[in-house]
Amino acid sequence: MIAVLLSRFSLRHWRHTPWQNLLLVLILALGVGVFVSIRLANRAAVSSFQNFTGALVGESDWIVEAPVGSLPESDLGEIRAALGTRPVRIIPVVETTGGIPMAPGDHAELDRETMTLLGVDLVGIANLAQERGMTGPFAPRDGSFWDELKGPPRAWVGPALSGRRSLDLIVGDRRVSLPVAGVIPTAPGAPAPPPGLVILDLPQLQRLTGTPGRIDRIEFAVAPGPSITERRAELGRLLSTLGKGGERWRVRTPGARRETAEQMTQAFRLNLTVLSLIALLVGLYLIFQALDGAVVRRRTEIAVLRSLGVDASAIRAAWVVEAAALGLAGGALGLLIGWLGAQAAVRLVGRTVNALYFASTVRSAAFLPGEAWIALALAVGASVAAGWWPALEAASVPPAQVLVRAGAPAPGSRFWRSPLAAAAAIAFGLLLSRLPAVALAGGGRFPLAGYAAALAWIVGTGMLCAASLPLASRPFRRAGSGSAPLRVAMGHLLRPSGRHRLAAAAVVCAIGMSAGMAILVASFEHTVRAWVNQALQSDVYLYSAGSRSASAGSRIAPQTWRAIAGRAGVREAWVLSTYPLQLGEGQPTLLTGTDMAAVREHSSLPWAEAPQGEAVFDPDRDEGLALVSESFSERFGRHRGDSLVVPTPSGPRTLTVAGVFSDYGNERGSVMVERRHLARWMGDDSATHLSLFVLPGVNPDALRDLLRREYPGLQVFTNRTLREEILKVFRQTFSITYALEVIGILVAITGIALTMASVLIDRRDELTTLRALGFSRGEIALAASVEGLAVAAWSVACGLVLSVCLGWLLIHVINKQSFGWTLGFSLPWVQLAALAVAVSGAGWGLSYAVGTWGTRLPADQEE
Amino acid sequence: MMRYPALLLPALLAASLVGAPPPATTPGGWAIPEPGHVFAFPADLGSHPDFRIEWWYVTGQLGAENGRHFGFQATFFRASGPKGAQEDPAFGAGQVFLAHMALTDVAHERFLDEERLNREGWDAGAAVGRLDLHNGEWSLRGDGDGQDGMTLEGGVRADASFSLRLTPSKPLAVFGEDGVSHKGADPSAASYYLSFSRLSAAGSVAVDGAAVDVHGEAWMDHEISSSQLGAGQVGWDWVCIQLADSRREIMLYRLRRADGSADPASKLQWVDPLGRTITEPFTWEVSTRWKSPRDKAEYPARVRLGTVDPATGKPVLFGIEPLVADQELANAPGGGPYWEGACRVVGPSGENAGSAYMELTGYAGPLRF
Repeated sequence: MIAVLLSRFSLRHWRHTPWQNLLLVLILALGVGVFVSIRLANRAAVSSFQNFTGALVGESDWIVEAPVGSLPESDLGEIRAALGTRPVRIIPVVETTGGIPMAPGDHAELDRETMTLLGVDLVGIANLAQERGMTGPFAPRDGSFWDELKGPPRAWVGPALSGRRSLDLIVGDRRVSLPVAGVIPTAPGAPAPPPGLVILDLPQLQRLTGTPGRIDRIEFAVAPGPSITERRAELGRLLSTLGKGGERWRVRTPGARRETAEQMTQAFRLNLTVLSLIALLVGLYLIFQALDGAVVRRRTEIAVLRSLGVDASAIRAAWVVEAAALGLAGGALGLLIGWLGAQAAVRLVGRTVNALYFASTVRSAAFLPGEAWIALALAVGASVAAGWWPALEAASVPPAQVLVRAGAPAPGSRFWRSPLAAAAAIAFGLLLSRLPAVALAGGGRFPLAGYAAALAWIVGTGMLCAASLPLASRPFRRAGSGSAPLRVAMGHLLRPSGRHRLAAAAVVCAIGMSAGMAILVASFEHTVRAWVNQALQSDVYLYSAGSRSASAGSRIAPQTWRAIAGRAGVREAWVLSTYPLQLGEGQPTLLTGTDMAAVREHSSLPWAEAPQGEAVFDPDRDEGLALVSESFSERFGRHRGDSLVVPTPSGPRTLTVAGVFSDYGNERGSVMVERRHLARWMGDDSATHLSLFVLPGVNPDALRDLLRREYPGLQVFTNRTLREEILKVFRQTFSITYALEVIGILVAITGIALTMASVLIDRRDELTTLRALGFSRGEIALAASVEGLAVAAWSVACGLVLSVCLGWLLIHVINKQSFGWTLGFSLPWVQLAALAVAVSGAGWGLSYAVGTWGTRLPADQEE
Repeated sequence: MMRYPALLLPALLAASLVGAPPPATTPGGWAIPEPGHVFAFPADLGSHPDFRIEWWYVTGQLGAENGRHFGFQATFFRASGPKGAQEDPAFGAGQVFLAHMALTDVAHERFLDEERLNREGWDAGAAVGRLDLHNGEWSLRGDGDGQDGMTLEGGVRADASFSLRLTPSKPLAVFGEDGVSHKGADPSAASYYLSFSRLSAAGSVAVDGAAVDVHGEAWMDHEISSSQLGAGQVGWDWVCIQLADSRREIMLYRLRRADGSADPASKLQWVDPLGRTITEPFTWEVSTRWKSPRDKAEYPARVRLGTVDPATGKPVLFGIEPLVADQELANAPGGGPYWEGACRVVGPSGENAGSAYMELTGYAGPLRF
């Protein structure tokens, strides 16, 4: 029965209005596509954080890492002795990043591409590789076995670079040219090594980075054989005991290590995913509307079917199946759009992950079947949900009543028109906005209640806007009382159909969310600008070209920074040294050493909790005192006066929080201590970056050029270029959100056009009457355009009010809960005005076009 | 005896091409064994970094109370590269250490083996001045002056392990003439060759996680050299025999040329109950062969060994028969496959005459590096 209904009833309508249905599929596809592309890009960006050693010899069983800094080589012998005769492969690893040298014309950039340099013992790793079915691993393409061991450093590269004879890289603060030894061997059936991976013999990489005797992590592989599960577990326990429960080192599985990377970016990715739902949410309004419109138009037919004895459940089922088919078509097309979009989005997401979290080498996003199923389920689910009410309505059509007054546009459900229900939704949202964030594993937080509040406000404001349409159109009626077309238009708005209401709600949703995001970004940019102005006081800044802002794998050697600090023309040098740190249950954060006295003197750090007293700025009195960033304070719940224990290679240090400063550089948070103490604790005097104050009369630009020539391994910025660079990275970080906003707005504008088309089809009898009364086509089109403009303008106005509320919610609740950043509120007036004019204008223009088309509608056409 | 990895062969051949007169050192600057050398212990059981290559080789046969019978091999090699490397205590570039472990489970006709190459440093090394070797979790460590005994910890992945206490039951034997064992016409092709030809072994063997106590006898060689193969040699056969009816042993190495003939430097020596060595002529006749299913190499299987008993002056004939046919180490890193396994020794009328370990190299085609 349902099949008959579908083919005779639904399919026939689809055939009659192919363009309208195609547009619906496209809207749905766009919504799903945006969602899929963000999900795929997110997954790709995170999967780029991997154990590169896994590509070589497969997954290890355990990984041991120092909570901060590196491990001494002497730990290796100690661990081997402690393991006794247990058959365990121990794989020490050194990992860092290497920069690609700048060409003479290049200018310094914070987000330059880097390579991952992996140092493994090429002799020892061969045993494991051979065990796993690789033949002739690391046999150099020229030279002998001993040359490989004793010769100068050589690079093993991925297939993409195999044609090179040598590879020029910035390692630490030096430029090196490494002969290419060969292509990284892989086990049969294993994926190709990632394109940005370079492998060196471990001691050679240690020497290149100036860290002899230090290793970054130790991986363990239990030998295959009987009771491997028990042996693996026993090894884990043994390593934990040796690691003094995390004080010396942390023991994790590669999976857990990846998970930490995932957790680090989880809040960012979740937020992006929520944003990617704007287009789908707006699209849902439109699908709801289209299906509802179809119910109205097919009422007569439904009534006939009902009177012929087709029962309500069959009609409902046919309707739901139709919605699901729409969802399936939209979902399938959305997958394609999503996959294509992901290729573009992945670079944008990757940049942000690079800037904020860890070195991401991702270049493309793979198509993941799991994500495809999620997207299809979402599309079908959303479509069925949007079609549910229309289906109920269709099934409840009483035959006799409809056959009498078929085709009249329905005003929509009473509930959706109730200002009281709207106010209740908004009030519920307010309540939700006061709730705390959901804690994610690994220290992240997700503002679930905040997003629910946003949804409640979006729905509530949409309802309020729809309910107030008649009220809002009154002034227009008075203004246009002399014009017949205007009176016609206003007549419709005073008694708006459910269609008008839905279009208005869709625009409110799109404008509210897009403008809300714009407010967040503007506030963020405003705050960051102010912060940069306060924080950046020096004249010249130096970074290793091999490091990125977040991974900081490359460092400036002590002799290099001392030479620069002591050169003529430099009044004062301010050295910053940052190490990734794991606190608590392995939650990543940063430990930074700086000249505290210089902090007080040169940088008016914006304080969230200002220090009481000057002790923290006095190197003689500040051992044991620390400043923490606001993000750190939020994540770890530490405030002024609290204490925290920081593990260091020379033993744990108990620090008292002397103050909390605002920092927008990262969301992991950081602990800042006096650099001289930190250098002693770490046994390392290298720097992450260096700020110089020049003597009066010294030109910073000239000094920068001089330093660039002398130190090709360093990136040198002047104050001005660094500010520009920071803001550029900032905008890149948000570039993906702009794209998402634009798509949401496009969908909303299309929605207005669709609404007008649908409304005019509903009113084709009326159009015929107007023509008979002597209305010209132009006048009818004008009436339609005014109607469209009024809906657009009023919903834009409501949307802007919503956007300010959402902006507040995003800044003070969602952002604060996710990232721990306090931002000042700033309205981007010009952007908002342009958005309002663009959407209203588009609504007006499209309605005029649709009105012109409507006058040509024959009165007897089915839809 | 020979007992060095194929890995080292190219270097050795190259070095041995340099002709007489014998230099004090090799062209690469490595020491050469000298006649009349006075051995000192435990130092001469330890590492000799002034020589280019060195190995410690333990083989033996073990029995358990439940009647199970095992053969085992544990080999530790040291090889130096060209001099003048930048030294690094944890990741050295001057020496590499190779180790081979094997266990033969006779009843189940099972042969397990594992090979490993590590650079000098935190995971592999050989102490100077005493017997103290390690390579990963495998080790061989001596007590006191090294002649009191030693402890061997070995295994094959997680499939098998052996932990053995080895105690010499005879004095140390020194093979060769005047303390130098010659391996070719070139005077520099020589080694110091020390052997504990009969060690009592006690400890445990675990296969697939099930451990049994074992007792048996082992043979331990320590050979120190810088260059010892002659030109034209393509492989060797080596056998050590522990005779059942007397406290005497036989060691022979047969250096093979490309045409299959034996190099004149090949040698058979008896070890008398006091550890003194006596050289005797020998004949070598392969009666059956075994073909490796992996690399199609054809190895001698049963061998008839003829020699003269120095105690009686009469000729004797022994049959050497592998306990398990397939005892091929096929995966040696940096070298070619070779066969090394536990054998029984039978007298002329088929009676048990003792036990043996036999090594057969160079049968699997050209040795690869």
